Order: sequence, then structure tokens, then C-alpha cells
Amino acid sequence: MIDIIQIIIESPFLQRAILGALLIAIVAAASGTFLVFRGLSFMASGVAHAALGGTALGIFLQDSGLVPWFDPILGALLFSVLVAAFTGYAGESGITQKMEVAVGVSFALSMSFAVFLMYYIPPYRVPQIWGYLIGDILLLNDLDIIMLGSTTLLLAVITLMFNKEFVYVSVDMEGSTAHGMNARAYHYLMLIVSALAIALATKAVGAILVYAIMVAPAAASNELVKSVRGVIFSVFLIALIAELAGIATSFVVFVSPSAIAGILAALSYILALQIKRLKEKVDVDIDDPALYPDDLKVTWIQSLSHEHEDEHEH
Amino acid sequence: MAATTPLLQVRDLAVRYSNGDLALHHVSFEIKSPSFMAIIGPNGSGKSTLVKTSLGLIKPSRGTIKVMGYDSQKKSGKIRKLVRYVPQRDRIDLAIPMKVKDIVLMGRLLKKLPPRFATSKDIAIAKDALQQVNMEELWERPFPELSGGQRQRVLVARALASEGSILVLDEPLAGTDVESQNLIVEALGRYHKENDVSIIMVTHDLNPIHTLVEDVLLLKNTVIGLGEPCSIMDPELIKKVYGPTARIVEHSGHRYCMTHDSGIDRHD
Ligand SMILES: Nc1ncnc2c1ncn2[C@@H]1O[C@H](COP(=O)(O)OP(=O)(O)OP(=O)(O)O)[C@@H](O)[C@H]1O
Ligand SMILES: [Mg+2]
Repeated sequence: MIDIIQIIIESPFLQRAILGALLIAIVAAASGTFLVFRGLSFMASGVAHAALGGTALGIFLQDSGLVPWFDPILGALLFSVLVAAFTGYAGESGITQKMEVAVGVSFALSMSFAVFLMYYIPPYRVPQIWGYLIGDILLLNDLDIIMLGSTTLLLAVITLMFNKEFVYVSVDMEGSTAHGMNARAYHYLMLIVSALAIALATKAVGAILVYAIMVAPAAASNELVKSVRGVIFSVFLIALIAELAGIATSFVVFVSPSAIAGILAALSYILALQIKRLKEKVDVDIDDPALYPDDLKVTWIQSLSHEHEDEHEH
Repeated sequence: MAATTPLLQVRDLAVRYSNGDLALHHVSFEIKSPSFMAIIGPNGSGKSTLVKTSLGLIKPSRGTIKVMGYDSQKKSGKIRKLVRYVPQRDRIDLAIPMKVKDIVLMGRLLKKLPPRFATSKDIAIAKDALQQVNMEELWERPFPELSGGQRQRVLVARALASEGSILVLDEPLAGTDVESQNLIVEALGRYHKENDVSIIMVTHDLNPIHTLVEDVLLLKNTVIGLGEPCSIMDPELIKKVYGPTARIVEHSGHRYCMTHDSGIDRHD
């Protein structure tokens, strides 16, 4: 135990990794939960890839000298917000399928865009784009932490303030509007703030990990936990444990922490499905005789025998 | 006339959806306030469209609709302060782990400003509303795990628990058994009498409510008839809307409408 603390104190990159893991667990709890509630789990990966397209644009603008001050991260944020707004627009009526399609279209568009621009970007900067896919939680720098930290804080505050509104928009958009809530505003707020946090998380740890951490724990919790607050809390725990386990494993075995975290998160979902199935089985196995009152049975048998009598008469 | 503002005042209303469907056309009528009104008509006749347009959720292509004198487009904020709305049941998303209490409290909390905390008064009112539809024991139960009819009752409780002088319910009796129907209808009737609220109810089956309703609007993309239940229960009118197989039967002083739609099959 003392050893571990010693190691953490001595290695700033490990401190950043643990802090990053904590922040991403918060993002997963705050936005992953609501995305899964709305049937929009695909949006996490849509936004992550849009960030990649935006980065390509940023690098291109910077490198070609067109807009030298344009940091690639601005492109990533811009693109992810555009995807969120586009998705929100498609789903203003509250229909999830339409939003899924919008996410799919923006996914394809941003990836095509990224690949298109790669031909015009100096080859030595191309890995920076792909870095958005793979990422590494052990390679976070201070700026990453600051940006991710401030967005996570914003997301957490907004979710704490408006979680009821986000739930109401997901449950009954029409009814919420009709009761005087500005459902449209919350609908966009939720999508855009989530997109910002997802884009920065992607920059920090890579799209693959973001996707796994954003969706699987929320899906797992939603199978088993029966209250909104419970789901949020459980997502946070699953995400954090998966990430810390990933980091710890990478010290023992030569392996990417993101890969381990992603696999663990995905396993949590499979496990949840299994637990749910087991629970259902137990419920069915209950063969309580009290459930079949005798008098009902008798009536039933009587009516059966009456039917037979009728048949004889015919 | 000037003495009381009408509940609904509709002038030459037409609604066309973006796919070109003309859901409503040449709709003009007026309903006094307060009223217990029913909107009936076959599937696709524009009942939900009319209700949603009145709440400002859909923009009319032509004409206007006013609720308590407020224009549905310009003054939708005022209307929504007055209204408690129960959408058709299939509009409620069941992927979210809401408890029965969360759904009922929603009716009250939606009328507040963020952070929308539930006070003990809110909880007492919500419990009372659930009691009126005989569901108080299911307070802690997950809403998505209820049966269709039970969910419908909870949604009615959500409307009863809320505040505002107009209850708008889109098919609150759909998929409910006779017991649930009676419970819901009685609760609404009692509520209408005791609280001076107006009720606008979309339904396929007038029979369970026809002793309570004051005005019936018969729609088939335009107004086919408007009046008291008995005058709407006219064989010719009903045939015009529901086709030649529809019949009206009189039974112990009440007229019953028999259509394939409502599937009334009473054996008594
Ligand atoms: N969102 C929509 N987009 C396009 N057309 C629609 C939409 N909603 C309804 N319509 C069309 O408008 C017409 C009226 O629909 P509406 O939902 O108002 O009928 P309804 O009387 O409520 O029917 P039901 O009894 O089935 O609920 C129908 O022809 C329908 O196809
Ligand atoms: Mg309808």
C-alpha cells in the first residue's frame, strides 16, 4: 500500500492519469447515462469521430498558413458541437431514430473529411489525427487535464442543476413542453455540453476508450438499477474501477491501459445482462401454490366439464 | 358571450404536416368554459393534431386556435401555465428508470422553476392523486414494469396532481379494462365537479363518459358534429364517420354507439 502511494507521489504522469480517469468517470456518469436513456449511445462515438475530423481541419488550417492561430482542438470542439446541434435538430420532435440517423451521417461526413484532408497535411502530423482514435491515458499533459477538468466541471454543474429537466426531456418531451418547460432548450443544452466533454475526453484518452467508458457502464447500470440517481452513481463506479484497473494492469503487464479499461467496461455490460437473466429465471421458478387459489381452479374445472357436457348434447 | 372567455375558439383552422398530409381543414368551432368535452373520431381523423395545435406544439398552416382567449402560437406560454397534458401513452419513453412517484411528481415539478425540488406538500398531493386512481400502493414501483392500463392510470394521476385549470388527455382510456376505465372516468368527473377545471379528452369510446361530458366534438379531419352527447349519438352522423356498420343502440335510457373502432361488445 505504502509502495503504491510512493509510486503515485513520485510520478506526475500517474497522478495525471488517475485524475484523468476520475474526470472521465464523471463525464460518463453525467452524459453517458443520459445518452443511453435517450437511446443515443451511438452519439458518443459520433462525436469522438467528429472531433477527429475537426482536428484534421485545424491542422490543415494551421499548417497551410490559412489561419495560423487555429489550434486543432478548436476544430475538434467546433465539429463536435456541430454534430450535437445537428443531432438535436433532427430529434426536436423527440424521435430517437431520427437522431441516430443524424449521428450516422455526421460520423461518415467527419471521417471522410478527415481522410480527405490527410492528403493535404504534412505526413509527420497525420499521427496526431490518429492519436484521437487510440489515445493513451498515461500520456496526458497538464493542458489536457486543465481543459478536460474545466469542461467536466461545467458538465457536472449543469447536470446537477438540470438533471430533472434532462430526464423529463427523455421521458416525455411533448408533455414537458405542454406543461410549460422549455424542453427544446434543455434538449440542446444536454447534447451540446455532452459533446464538448466527449470531445475533450477523446483528445485526452482516445475515441475507443471514450466510447467504451461512455456507453457500456451506462447500459449495464440501466439493466439492473431502477432509479435515475442509482444509475448515475453506478456508472461512475463502474467507469472509475475499469479505468483504474486498466492503469494498474499496465504496470504489471505490458499492455495499453485503455484496452484493459475498455474490455472491463464492455464486460460489465455482458455481466449485467447475465445477472438480469438469472434474476428473471429465479422469478419464474417461484411456483407458489398461493398464486393459484383453489376455488378458481375448481371453477375452471367445472366450466371445462360443462363444455364437455355441451359437446355431448350436440 | 363577452362575459366568459371560451375554453376553445377555433377559426378556419388547417394543419398540414411536412409530409403533405392535411390532418385538419376548415375547422371552426367554439366551446364554452368550463366544460368537460370529448373529441371523438376514427384513427387518423386529426384528434391528437387538434389537441397538440391548441397547446402550440404544432403550428397551424392556416387559421387560429385560442385557448381561454390566448392564441396558441403567440401566447403558448400562457396556455401552458393553465394546461396539464397527458399525451397518448405510447409517447412515454420506457427506457428511463422512472418510479411511479417520479412520473406523478413530474406533473407538479414541471410547473416549477429549476431546481424543481419536491416539497412534502408536493408528495402529499401526488400520493392523493394516485389514491384517486387506486394506485397508491405502487408509489415505489418502476413505471416501465407496470401493465399498460396501470401506466395509463399513473399518467392520469400525474395530470390530477398537477396544477392548472385545463386538463388535456389524449386517449386516457386506451387499452384499459372496464375497472380502470370506471376509475379514471370517475376520478375525472369528480375532479371536474369539485375543482372548476375544464377537461378536454380525446377518446375512441364515448360510452364510458357520456353521462359526464357536456360537449362532444366529432372529427374527421374537419368538424362533422358538435353538441351534447345525445345529439352526436345520431345514427346518420356516426355512419358518416365510422362507416355503414356503425349502429346506435338504446339501453336503459342511454344511447350506446357500436362501431368497429370502439369494439363495444356489451352483453348485458
Ligand atoms: N408527425 C406527423 N407527420 C406527418 N403526418 C402526421 C403526423 N402525425 C399525424 N399525421 C397525420 O395526420 C393525420 C391525423 O393524425 P392524428 O394523430 O391527429 O390522428 P388521431 O385522430 O389522433 O388518430 P388516433 O386515433 O390514431 O390517435 C393522419 O393522417 C396522420 O397520418
Ligand atoms: Mg391520436
